[in-house]
Amino acid sequence: MEERTRNLFKELLSSGSGKVGIAFIIALIIISLGVIIIYPPDFGLKYWSNPVLWADNPRAAPPAWTNLFSSYNQAETVIFETNIPTERIPGVSTTKVLYTFNLNHKADEPPSFISMTVGNIKYNNRPPVLIVNIERPDGNKIELYRLIVPGPLPNEVTPFARFSETPFRIQLSGNHEVVSAVSNFLKQEFDVSISNQDLLLSGVDIAVFGTPQDDGKFDVLMGVYKIQVDAFLYNEDDSIGSVKFVAGGSVHGFMGTDTLGRDLSIGLLFGFPVALFIGLVASSITTVIGTSLGIISGYIGGKTDTSIQRAADIFTNIPLLPILIFLSFIVGPNLFIIILILIIFSWPGLTILIRSMVLQIRSGQLVESSITLGASRLRIMLRHIFPQTAPFVFAQMIFFTPSAILAEAALSFLGLGDPSLPTWGQILEYGFRNGGIYVGYWWWILPPGILIVITAMTFVLIALGMEPIINPRLKRGH
Amino acid sequence: MGAARLLAIKGVTLFGVLLVSLLLVIVVLGATGVSDRMMGSIVNEEVRELRQSLAITIRDPIELERVVLAEREQLVEFYGLDNPWYTRLPDMVWRILRLDLGSARTLKSFSGSTRVSDIVLERLPNTVILVTTALAISSVLGLYIGVKLATRVGTTLDRGVSYISAASYALPSWWVGIIFIMILSFQFHIFPFGGITSAPVPSGFLNRTFDIMWHATLPIITLTLASVGSWAYVVRTMVLNTAQEDFVTVARAKGLPENKIMNRHIIRVAAPPIVTNLVLGLTASFGGAILTETVFNWPGMGRLYYDAIFALDENVIVALTFIFTLLYVGARFILEVLYILLDPRVRY
Repeated sequence: MEERTRNLFKELLSSGSGKVGIAFIIALIIISLGVIIIYPPDFGLKYWSNPVLWADNPRAAPPAWTNLFSSYNQAETVIFETNIPTERIPGVSTTKVLYTFNLNHKADEPPSFISMTVGNIKYNNRPPVLIVNIERPDGNKIELYRLIVPGPLPNEVTPFARFSETPFRIQLSGNHEVVSAVSNFLKQEFDVSISNQDLLLSGVDIAVFGTPQDDGKFDVLMGVYKIQVDAFLYNEDDSIGSVKFVAGGSVHGFMGTDTLGRDLSIGLLFGFPVALFIGLVASSITTVIGTSLGIISGYIGGKTDTSIQRAADIFTNIPLLPILIFLSFIVGPNLFIIILILIIFSWPGLTILIRSMVLQIRSGQLVESSITLGASRLRIMLRHIFPQTAPFVFAQMIFFTPSAILAEAALSFLGLGDPSLPTWGQILEYGFRNGGIYVGYWWWILPPGILIVITAMTFVLIALGMEPIINPRLKRGH
Repeated sequence: MGAARLLAIKGVTLFGVLLVSLLLVIVVLGATGVSDRMMGSIVNEEVRELRQSLAITIRDPIELERVVLAEREQLVEFYGLDNPWYTRLPDMVWRILRLDLGSARTLKSFSGSTRVSDIVLERLPNTVILVTTALAISSVLGLYIGVKLATRVGTTLDRGVSYISAASYALPSWWVGIIFIMILSFQFHIFPFGGITSAPVPSGFLNRTFDIMWHATLPIITLTLASVGSWAYVVRTMVLNTAQEDFVTVARAKGLPENKIMNRHIIRVAAPPIVTNLVLGLTASFGGAILTETVFNWPGMGRLYYDAIFALDENVIVALTFIFTLLYVGARFILEVLYILLDPRVRY
C-alpha cells in the first residue's frame, strides 16, 4: 500500500502543475522559516501595531521603484542615524560636539517632512543645548531649531538622564520655531515675505529645499545639503546617546507604506508563516478527524454510522461564513478560535466521502481474509482500510488547505482578524477601510491579495497534479 | 423510496440544521454573558420609554424615580434576568424566531428606525435580488459551457477551462471585486464605486431601474465569475459520466441525431447530480454575497454584517446570522424539491 503513496509523489512530480506547485511551496516554506527566525514573536502587538515605531516613514507612500516609470523623480526617505559625533571640539567650559550629515537631494520635489530624534542624553550641571543648522547647496545657511534639554527637577540626583527610555522626536516641518526661522531667512536672503501661518500651511520644506520664484512659487534646489547638529555640553562627563535626522520621501522602500507609515513589505513578509500555519494546521486536523470518523462510520456501521452521518449532514449544511462571523465576533478575534471553528465545520465533507470509499473496501477480499484470520477491528481499520484511502486523504488535505487560508482572509477582510498576528487579509482590510480603493493606493491593496492568491494557488496546483492518480477516470483525454 | 418520504427526510434534516444553528448561537451568547447584556439593553429601552411617559403625569422627581425603579425590577423579573441564562433558552429561541431583538446600538434603517428587525428586513430584498440574479446567470452559463466542453473533451479549450475553473478556486471573489473597482471604476470611470443608486436618485421609473442595473453590474459579474467556472466543470464531468452509459450507446445506434441524444438522453439523466452540486455550491454563494456586498457597498444584509462588526452591534449580528441560515435552509429546500421533480427514479 505504501507503493500507492509513492506513486502519488511520482505522478505529482511528472505533471507540470505538480512541479510548479512543489517549487512554490518550497519557496513559501523557506520565506516562512526566515521570517520565524528573524521576526520577534510579539511582532503583531509590539511592533506592527505601534505607531511610534513608524513615525519617521512617509504615510501612504508608493514603492520607491515607481520612480523608474515616471519622468518626475519623487523623493525617497533618507535616514541618518549615529551615536558617534563627527567632531568633538573641547573648550574651556563648554565642549562642542558636532554631528554632520550630507543629504544629496536629487528629487523633483522637496522632502515630505524633516524630523530629528535625540536619545539618551546625560548631563551633570547645566542642561546641554542642541542647534540644528542646514547649509544649502547655494551656500546659504539656516539655523532651524534650538533644543534646550529639560533642566533638573527638584530633588533629582546627578547625572540627569533625559530621553533614555523613549527618544525625543521633533517634527521639524511642523514646528513653529522652525517656521519663524525659515520665514526670517526668506526675508533676509530673498526679500520674500510669507506669513508664518502661510508657511506652516504650505510646509517649510518647499522653502528650505527650494528657491522662491517671481510667481510666488518655489523651485526645488537640488544638490548636497549639509545638515549639522551642534551640541553644547557644559561638563566633561556629559554625553549624547544618539542623533537621528530624517528627510521623509513620498516613495518608500520596496512595497510602499500605509496611512500609518508602516512599511508594507515588513507586514507582508510576516503574513507568509501565518498563512501557512492557518492552512496546514486547519487542514491536517480536519483531515485526521474527517478520515477517522469516515472509516469508523463506514466500517462499523449500524447506529454509529447513522449518528455520524446525521451529524455530518447537519454540519455540512450550516452556512459557514455567517457562523464564523458570529462566533469570532462574540468570542473575540483569536486566530486559534478561527482555526477551531474551521475544523468543526469542515470535517463532515471528508467523512461522507471516506465512508463511501470504506463501504467498497470493506467488501473486498483483503478485509474479509483479515477478519477470517482474527484481526481486531482497530487493526483492520488502521492497517488494511486506512492505507487504501491514504492517497485520496492526502489529496483532500492539500485541497482543503487553500480553503482555510481563504476563509481566514475573508474573515480578516470583514474586520475580524486577530490583531496579534497580522495577516494579508488584515492589511487588505485596513487599506479598504481607509478608502484605499477609492484613491488608488494600489501598492497597498494589490500585493496582499496577490499573495493570498499565490499561496492558495500553490496548493491547488499540487492538488491538480495529484488528480490523475486520485481520479483515474479523469485521466487526460479519457 | 417515495418522493414524499424523501422530501420529509430532507425537511427534517434542514429543520435540524436550523435548530442546531439557533442553539449554537444562543448557547454561545449565554455562556459568554452577551445575552444578559442584550436583554439588559431591552430593559433599559423600555424603562426609558416608561420614564418619558410617566414624566408627564408624575411631577415629583423622587416619586418618579421610585415608580421607575419598581417598574424596572418587574421587567428584570419578567425577562428572567435574575435567573441564569439557560433558564431563558426557550424564550430566547422564540425571540430570535420573531426577530424581536430590541434596537440596534447605532445602526439605523433607511427610514430611520433603530429596531433590529426593521434594519435587517429592509435589506433582505437587496441581497435576494443580487444572489438570485447571479445564481441564475451562473447556472445558465455553467450549463451551457459545461455541455459545450463535454462535446469537446481533450481539446485545448476543454483543458484551458478546466485549469481556469481550478484556478478560480484560489481566487477570492471579494478580491476580484476590488480589482474590478480599481480598474473599471477608479481608472476608467466606467462603473460606479459602489452603492445601489446614484446620488441624487434619477427621476422616472425607467431611469431608476437602469441606474440600479448599472450599479448591480459589477457585483453580479463578480459573484458569477466566482462560481461559473466550477459549475461548468461539474456539468462537464456529469455529462461525460452519463455519456458513457449503455442507453446513450443504444440511442446512438438507433441513429438519433447528436443534439437530440444530448438534450433528451444525457442532460435529462445528468440533471439530478448537477442539481446536487448546485446545492453544495450554495453555501459558497452566500459567503460570496456577504463579501461582495461589502466590497461594493451594496446595501444588503452582507454589507450590514460589515457595518455591524464595525459598530460592535451584537443584536444585529445575531439577527443576520439567523436570517442567513434561514435563507440558506429555504433555498436548499427549494433545490431538494427541484431534485425530486427532475429525477424520475425518485418520482415514480
